[in-house]
Amino acid sequence: MPKHEFSVDMTCEGCAEAVSRVLNKLGGVEFNIDLPNKKVCIESEHSSDTLLATLNKTGKAVSYLGPK
Amino acid sequence: TQETVININGMTCNSCVQSIEGVISKKPGVKSIRVSLANSTGTVEYDPLLTSPETLREAIEDMGFDAILPD
Ligand SMILES: [Cu+2]
Ligand SMILES: [Cu+2]
Repeated sequence: MPKHEFSVDMTCEGCAEAVSRVLNKLGGVEFNIDLPNKKVCIESEHSSDTLLATLNKTGKAVSYLGPK
Repeated sequence: TQETVININGMTCNSCVQSIEGVISKKPGVKSIRVSLANSTGTVEYDPLLTSPETLREAIEDMGFDAILPD
């Protein structure tokens, strides 16, 4: 499965938790959250646009870093 | 204008508060929102013709928080 890396402005565990929830709601994703580096790596068949739109739902600053 | 208080669980820091205020204040019909991290609540002033407490609750859920309407 393709892997995508995103930068997500998270400041604590709670922020990371909110990110996990929106991703789990979307489904079809396996992800790893790197809180200190504010990065989320997602393995999924969803397009990077879909993943970006999903992450944007959190209301946090998000940007696509690229495939991994 | 009506006002509703929504219980929000899962907020842990000030950036959660800012995220919710930023997103919800842009929803149609929302006049103002004040989120309290200490009380785990969001107080929303809204236009009942354009939105409803349930719509607002769902919008907060969509952001990755637990939102519950008071009875
Ligand atoms: Cu946080
Ligand atoms: Cu937070």
